[in-house]
Amino acid sequence: MGEKIVINPLTRISGFLEIEVYIENHIIKNAKSSGMLFRGFEKMLEGRPPLDAIYFTQRICGICSTAHSIASALALEDALKVVPNENDRMIRDMIHGCEFLQNHLRHFYQYTFPDYVKGPQINPLYKESHGDYRLPKIVDEKLSKHYIASIEYSRQAHKMLAILGGKAPHNHGVFVGGVTVNMNASIFIELKSIIASIKGFIENIMIEDVGIIAKYYSDYFHNGKGYGNFISYGVFDDDYNAPFIYVKPAVLRNDKRYPFDDKKITENIYYAWYKADQVNISPKEGYVETDRYKENAYSFIKAPRYDESPMEVGPLARLWLSGEYTRGVSTMDRTIARVLEAKKICNIIENLLTKIRLGPSNQQRYEIPNRAYGIGLKGTTRGALGHWLFIENQKIKKYTIITPTSWNTSPMDSNGVKGVIEKALIGTYVKDVKNPVEVGRIVRSFDPCVSCATHIMSNKYNSMTIRIV
Amino acid sequence: MNRKCPIFENKRRIPRQIIDFTIANINPNHKINLIWLEACGCSGNIISLLNGENPDVIFLLKQMVNMTYNNSLMAQEGEAAFEKFLETLDTEFILVVEGAVSTKDNGLYNVIARYKEKLITGMEAVAMAGKKAKYVLAVGSCAAYGGPSAARPNPSLSKSVYDFLDREVIRVPGCPAHPRWVMGTLADIISFGKPILDEENRPVVFYGITIHDRCPRRAYFDKGIFAQKLGDKECMFKLGCRGPITKTDCPIRRWNNSINWPIGDNTPCIGCARNGFPDLMEPFVRY
Repeated sequence: MGEKIVINPLTRISGFLEIEVYIENHIIKNAKSSGMLFRGFEKMLEGRPPLDAIYFTQRICGICSTAHSIASALALEDALKVVPNENDRMIRDMIHGCEFLQNHLRHFYQYTFPDYVKGPQINPLYKESHGDYRLPKIVDEKLSKHYIASIEYSRQAHKMLAILGGKAPHNHGVFVGGVTVNMNASIFIELKSIIASIKGFIENIMIEDVGIIAKYYSDYFHNGKGYGNFISYGVFDDDYNAPFIYVKPAVLRNDKRYPFDDKKITENIYYAWYKADQVNISPKEGYVETDRYKENAYSFIKAPRYDESPMEVGPLARLWLSGEYTRGVSTMDRTIARVLEAKKICNIIENLLTKIRLGPSNQQRYEIPNRAYGIGLKGTTRGALGHWLFIENQKIKKYTIITPTSWNTSPMDSNGVKGVIEKALIGTYVKDVKNPVEVGRIVRSFDPCVSCATHIMSNKYNSMTIRIV
Repeated sequence: MNRKCPIFENKRRIPRQIIDFTIANINPNHKINLIWLEACGCSGNIISLLNGENPDVIFLLKQMVNMTYNNSLMAQEGEAAFEKFLETLDTEFILVVEGAVSTKDNGLYNVIARYKEKLITGMEAVAMAGKKAKYVLAVGSCAAYGGPSAARPNPSLSKSVYDFLDREVIRVPGCPAHPRWVMGTLADIISFGKPILDEENRPVVFYGITIHDRCPRRAYFDKGIFAQKLGDKECMFKLGCRGPITKTDCPIRRWNNSINWPIGDNTPCIGCARNGFPDLMEPFVRY
C-alpha cells in the first residue's frame, strides 16, 4: 500500500507551490506540482498603455523582475520597429547580468543551502535537523558563514543593477530603445569595482561550496533527471559578447538538436483550471478564462509544450545547449550549473565593460502604432521567458506571458505527458518516507518561481492515505 | 592563586552572575516574535529587505526581532513550517504582510499552506494572525493599498490588508518597500512603540513630504525646463512624473544603498508608493 505525501508550503522558492507525491516501496510512483497563486497579469494588461508594460510586468515577480522588463521591451521594440543601438544593448545585457548574479547567489545560498547545510543558527534560517545533514561540523560551520557572507554580494549585484537601472527590484532603466542611463566614468568604475568583488566571491567561495555539497551528497547526481529535453531562447549571444558569447536559441529533444522555431510553442490546458474552445493554445491566439471546478484538472499552471514536448529550461539547459557542460542531468548537475553560470556571467559583464562607450543614452519619443504585434523571447535567470504583445487602438489588446517556471512546473497535458518537475520526481528513491527530503531538494534545483507562474489548484481530494509533512 | 582568599569565591561567582544576567537579556527569545507573511503578491518586499544595509537582514534577525515564519527564507517546509506560524499566534508578535489579500473563491487564489489536509488561504492566515498581532505592518503597495495585485479588473479580487482587517494597520507602501522604510518602522516599534503616523497610517518620517518638494530637478521645474524624453537631465513632469503627488523620501534616501533612484536614472517617478498605483498612475510614461 502506497502513501501520498503533500508538501505545502514548499518554502525557499519565490511564491507558493504544493508538491504531492505517491510513494510505494520507497519509490515515487506519481507526482503532481501545483502553483498556489493566481493574480491574472495577462488580463490586467488588456487596455493599458503599451509602454507601461515594461514597468507593469515587472510586478509579476520580485526576484526576477528585470527579466520581465527585458522581454517586454523586446516585444515592444518588435511591435514599434525600434532597434536599440549596440551600446545601449550592451548596457541592457549588463543590467540583465546583474539580475542573474543576484538571483543565482540568493537561490544557492538562501534557498538551496538549507537543504544541505544546517546553516547559521538564526531564526528562521535554521532548523535542528531533518536527519540527512551530512557535512562534518567544521565544514558545516564554514559554509554557514558563507550563507551570511553571500548576502553582501547579492546585495551588491542589485546595487550594480540600480546604478544602471535606478532601483532594484523593479527597475526603471530598461526601456524601449535600450536604456535610460547616461554612462560616465564614475559609473563605469563603480561597476568595475563591484563586479570584481562579486567575481572574487563566486570564484573563491561559491564554486568551492557547491563542490563540497556535491561531494557529500553525490547520490544527487543520480536523481531528479526529468526528460533531458532542453530549450533556450538565447541570451548574451550578440556578437559584441565575443569571446564570451553564451547561448543561441536552440532545442534539444530526445538527444537531437533542432533549430528553434517559436511557432512550435503552445500551452496545453487539459489538466489546468482554464476553459477555452481548444486544448492547445498558441500564445498568439485564444483567450482563456479561469475555471476552478473543471473536472480532472489539478493545477492552474498551463502546460507549455514545444512541438508537444515538455522542455526543461534554466542554467543547466543553457550550459548544455552551449556545449559547456555535459556531465549529466540531475538534481546536483542543475545546482552546479547555476553556480557555473554565475561565474560565467561575471566574465560576460567584465567583457562588456571593456567594450562599452561612455556617453548619453539614445532614448527617443516613441509613437504607438494603431495596430501592431510583437514578440520578446529571452533566456532569463530561470530559463526561457516569452512575452507576446498585440496592440490595437494604441492600447494593449492582448498580452501573453509564458514564464520559465511554467515550462518546468507544468502539469500533465492532454497526451498524458507529465510536466518536467513531475517527471524529475517520479522514480526517485526516498530513503526515509517519514522525512522525504529528496522531494524539496529535487524541486528546488529547478529554482521555481511561482509568483511568475501565477496559478492555483483544486480544493477537492479523493480518499487515500494522505500524510502532510 | 590563593584559594584561601575570602574574596576568591565572590570573584568567581560575580562574573558568573553577570554573564548569566547578560545571556538572559540577550537571549533571542526575548526579542519580539515576527511573522513575515507573503500573501497575494510578488514576494518582492522580502527580496528588497535582503538589500538592506546597516541594518542588514542578519542584524534584523539577530538583534531586532525573532522571525518565526517566512516562506522565502525559513529552513522548514510543509506542515512543520506552518506550525511555526501557528505557534507564534499564542505569543506577543508583530505581523508583517506583503502582498494583498485575495478574496476570490473564498481566498483560494492564494493558498499559502496545507495543514491537517486543509488548505490555508492567504486570506485566512492574514485574518488569523491579524486578530492576535500586537502590531500589523502592511509592507509594499499591494498590502498597503491593493497595488498591482488589485489592478483592474482585479482577477483575484484582491484587497489591501488595511481594508481587509478591522484593526489598526501601519502602512509601509512602495513597490517594493524600501528596506529602510521597513527596518526603520520596526526599529521605532521595538524601541519607542508605535511610530508617528499620517492620516493614511504611514510613518511620517518616511512618507511625510512629496518627492517633488525635495527633488534635485526641482530647479528645472521652477524655471519651466522640462525633459522631452527619458534619458534627459531636466524635470520629468511633462513625461508623467508622479513626484508631485507621491510622498516618500526617495530623493534623499535613494535606493540600493543610496546609489541611485528612478529620477536619478532619468526616468519619471511612477507613484509606486502611492494609493491608486498602478491604475491611477497611468500612463507611467507619456510624451
